[in-house]
Amino acid sequence: MADIAVQGLTKVYRSRAHPDGLLALDGVDLSVVDQEFVCLLGPSGCGKSTVLNVLSGLEQRYAGEVKVAGKVVSHNSGHPFRVGYVFQEPRLLPWLTVRRNIEFVLESEDIARSEWRERTDAWLHRVGLRDFAEAHPHELSGGMQQRTAIARAFAVDPEILLMDEPFSGLDELTARTMRELLLEIWLETRKTVIFVTHNCFEACFLADRIVVFSPRPGKIRKDIAIELARPRNYEDSRLFELSVSVTHYVTGKSVS
Amino acid sequence: MAIVTEREFPIPASGNRLRIPESLSIRAASLVVLVIVWQLASIAVSAKYVPGPLPTFAALWDNAQSGALMKHFTVTMVRMLLSFAIAMLVGMAIGTVMGLYRRAEQSLDLVVMVGLTIPGLCYIIVSFMWLGLNDRAAVLAIAWTTFPAIAINIWQGVKAIDQRLIDMARVFGASNWRRTARVVVPQVLPYLMAASRFGLGIIWKVTVLVELLGRSDGIGYMLNYSFQMFNMADVFAWTLFFTLVMLVIELAILKPIERRLFLWRPEIRA
Repeated sequence: MADIAVQGLTKVYRSRAHPDGLLALDGVDLSVVDQEFVCLLGPSGCGKSTVLNVLSGLEQRYAGEVKVAGKVVSHNSGHPFRVGYVFQEPRLLPWLTVRRNIEFVLESEDIARSEWRERTDAWLHRVGLRDFAEAHPHELSGGMQQRTAIARAFAVDPEILLMDEPFSGLDELTARTMRELLLEIWLETRKTVIFVTHNCFEACFLADRIVVFSPRPGKIRKDIAIELARPRNYEDSRLFELSVSVTHYVTGKSVS
Repeated sequence: MAIVTEREFPIPASGNRLRIPESLSIRAASLVVLVIVWQLASIAVSAKYVPGPLPTFAALWDNAQSGALMKHFTVTMVRMLLSFAIAMLVGMAIGTVMGLYRRAEQSLDLVVMVGLTIPGLCYIIVSFMWLGLNDRAAVLAIAWTTFPAIAINIWQGVKAIDQRLIDMARVFGASNWRRTARVVVPQVLPYLMAASRFGLGIIWKVTVLVELLGRSDGIGYMLNYSFQMFNMADVFAWTLFFTLVMLVIELAILKPIERRLFLWRPEIRA
């Protein structure tokens, strides 16, 4: 059971520009049940990514309690559970081949060497990169690099999968294919996913539930359940209507 | 649903394999032309002022036979390598600290820049005046002249480290040591390589100068000796020998290391 429970999460950034501290997150409560796909939606600067950083152990100074699969994310020992993370940029190590990039995280997560080849091959196959295992990242297009990053995140068999605007750097056509691929894989694996985005349509297409954030200070404004049947379809007119009303909600315009 | 869209075919590999022999033959041809021009110049001016390739190689051969070549070459190499090691250590330490801490950067960047600007000759004279005409002073002077260039390269390299890749490794559970060895070091390596390049380039020039001014052996001393004797063939022979050694180090050591390390960087491989 990889459920996530965040209670009273508060984060203050101190910097030269903000000597008194900038309140990035103000008492955020968020709970995600096992196998749920949740999108955090909001404009930039509303603290969505900070939530991911806390969950992934990158951000260790915060107030509040964070539990994943019943285990408390401690402030100093990092995370006692496996995280898969897909960043906005692919963040592949450029000097390693695609295969070695995936093996790098398998080794970091202490996964037995005997499993590496099978896992890597299976995931590269799944994301359509079977023939590119020995290529270096610079030989791949942006979309293929991000596929590698997705394969890498799933290959560690994470308890939770965190995605930080993973398709926002891609052109829309590639991003569409990638969203469909992600949903296919998610339906097969049913990982608990937290997906950060500022794209309302993307959020409606992907999520079971959309959590809308408002900025300065970062707070949860609304929790919207998306009750569209899966598998979903880009051409679905209900998806379109839904995304229009969510967009209106986020931008503050009234729904007609 | 097709998984790979048509847009995502990789960049085709260019014909690097074919170009290597071609570039080699061009280089060989340019060397041949150089030797011919040298010979022509010798005929045009006079063999006394511009000894041709044959007398030069003959002088080189004589020096090799007498054992002088090996003796002075060894002395020069030992001085160079020792100074190089010291300059690399000091340069790496200073460069790393400057790259990591803003305070260190602010207090040291001017110092390093000034260090780079002062002519090597000044360091040499000061070292000899402080420590006397001995090898300790020679090594000090050479290392002193060289380390600022190394520090600057390492400084830039440490500053250019991509924190995002380190964060990625941390999220996926890589230990502190592993992040350093597998994510940080490979990022700094190209700069380390550039630093040693710069360092060696400076060291060649300073070492002969040091030997000319304050030592009684080494290639720099022999160049000066040949100058005093007005033995132009020997001057040419020592210069030629020095150039050959530099070329061998470049082609047999530095280039292969670079090729192995940076196979993944298209701009260097090309």
